[in-house]
Order: sequence, then structure tokens, then C-alpha cells
Amino acid sequence: MRTGRVLIVIGLLGVTAAYVRAIAFTGVEAVQGPAQKIMYVHVPSAWCAFMAFSLVGICSGLYLWLGDRRLDTFSEASAEVGIVLTGLVLVTGPIWGKPIWGTWWQWEPRLTSTLFLFFLFVGYLTLRRAMFDPAERARYSAVVGILGAMLVPFIHLSVYMFRTIHPRPVVLNPEGPTMPGAFVATLLFSLSAFTVLYLGLVTTRYGLGRLRELREARHVSAA
Amino acid sequence: MFLLREPPDNSAFMIAAYSVVAVVLLTYSIMLMVRVRAEEKRER
Repeated sequence: MRTGRVLIVIGLLGVTAAYVRAIAFTGVEAVQGPAQKIMYVHVPSAWCAFMAFSLVGICSGLYLWLGDRRLDTFSEASAEVGIVLTGLVLVTGPIWGKPIWGTWWQWEPRLTSTLFLFFLFVGYLTLRRAMFDPAERARYSAVVGILGAMLVPFIHLSVYMFRTIHPRPVVLNPEGPTMPGAFVATLLFSLSAFTVLYLGLVTTRYGLGRLRELREARHVSAA
Repeated sequence: MFLLREPPDNSAFMIAAYSVVAVVLLTYSIMLMVRVRAEEKRER
């Protein structure tokens, strides 16, 4: 768990450095103005949230196959961190949308499906709290975790599948990055910082889950 | 002929977004460490 705490501190320092780089050392976009810089926190939050939920899906599938409780504990940890990051995506998106689109929210496919993903994983954690038998809890939540993770590729591709006002990916698109090199460098720097922070948070949350599991096991054997 | 214009001044939105992200990440990180500390205390 010590590794997790160290990674959290490094990640937070990295995000601070990304702020400094974005605000002071990256140019202002001519059309959107300073609001464009919201992308340097919005996109990394989204990438890490989608990575977190994809890992929930993978680990849940592996749990159903192998039955290793640690995979279930990791899924819970990754889901919790993913919810926090998706919350950031859902808050920073509208703050960018107001000056650029002229509205805080649009019920269009990318935004709506991201909101559904958020609610789905809040439901996932609620389901976990509602069930007391560890094996049953792990099995049911694994199924919900897999179904939730299946939304992730759909959300990524939604901008190609539907007519939408949400911008298309600026880095991960078939034509290559569609931004100036300095903007891409700042975005990748911020993405690295968020990834380290995600690793720190998920490692620490996993450690917490293991501690609780051990206590639960002791209660059961004592009863 | 080029039409030059200043970018719009919407830095308040950027500051708002960056502040929300900083507060949420810091609060969640601290809360997580507090929860771990409490669980470790319970262990002992």
C-alpha cells in the first residue's frame, strides 16, 4: 500500500506540473481561447476513466473464469476510481461546453452514454454494498461489471456512429493528431500524470479492499 | 487579407474547471488515505 501512496503523491505533483505547463507554457488557441485548455484535464480524466472501467470488465471476466477473490477486489477498486474520474469528465465537459457550444449540456450520444456509464457503475457499487455473501456479491457484480465495460468502446465510437456535436478524438484518430505539436505534448504530459495518479489511487483502494476482506474472513471464522 | 482578432476571454471557465479537478482529486486522495489509516488501526 506504501507504493500506492507514493504513486498518489507523484501523480498529484505530476498533475500540478501539467497545470503549470498548460497555463503558462502552452499557447492559447485562437478560436476557443483559454477554455480550450480544459481539454488538458477533461481528456486525460476520460481516458483514465475508460481504462478503469475496461479493467473492471477484464478482471470481472477473469474472476468468473478463475474464481480468484483478488480480481474481484481489484474490480471494486477500479470501479470506485473510475466513478470519481467520470464525475470529473461530466463536470469539466459542460464547463467547456458553455463558452464553446453556448450550452451546458446536450442530450447527444457521447454525453448521454457517458452519463449512463456513470450511473451504471454507481449501481455496481450500490449492488456490492447490498449483498453480504462475498461469493455471491463477487459473482453478481462481475456480471454487471462486464456489461458496464461493454459501453466503453461504444462511447469511444459514438462520435463516428452518430451525428453529434462532440469533437472527434484529436489524438487517437485514423488521420493522426489534429492539433499543433505543443498542444499534443501538453496533453500527453497530463495524460501520463493522470495515469500515475490512477495507478496510485487504484493500488491504495485495492489495499483497503484486501484489509476489509481479511477482517470479513476473520469475523466469519470467529462466528 | 488576414482578419486578425484576439481570442475570446473565457479564462474564468478554465479556472473553474481546473479548480474543480484539483479539489476533487485532492479530497479523494486524502479521504482514501484516511480510510486506509482507519482500517489499519482497526487491524491493530
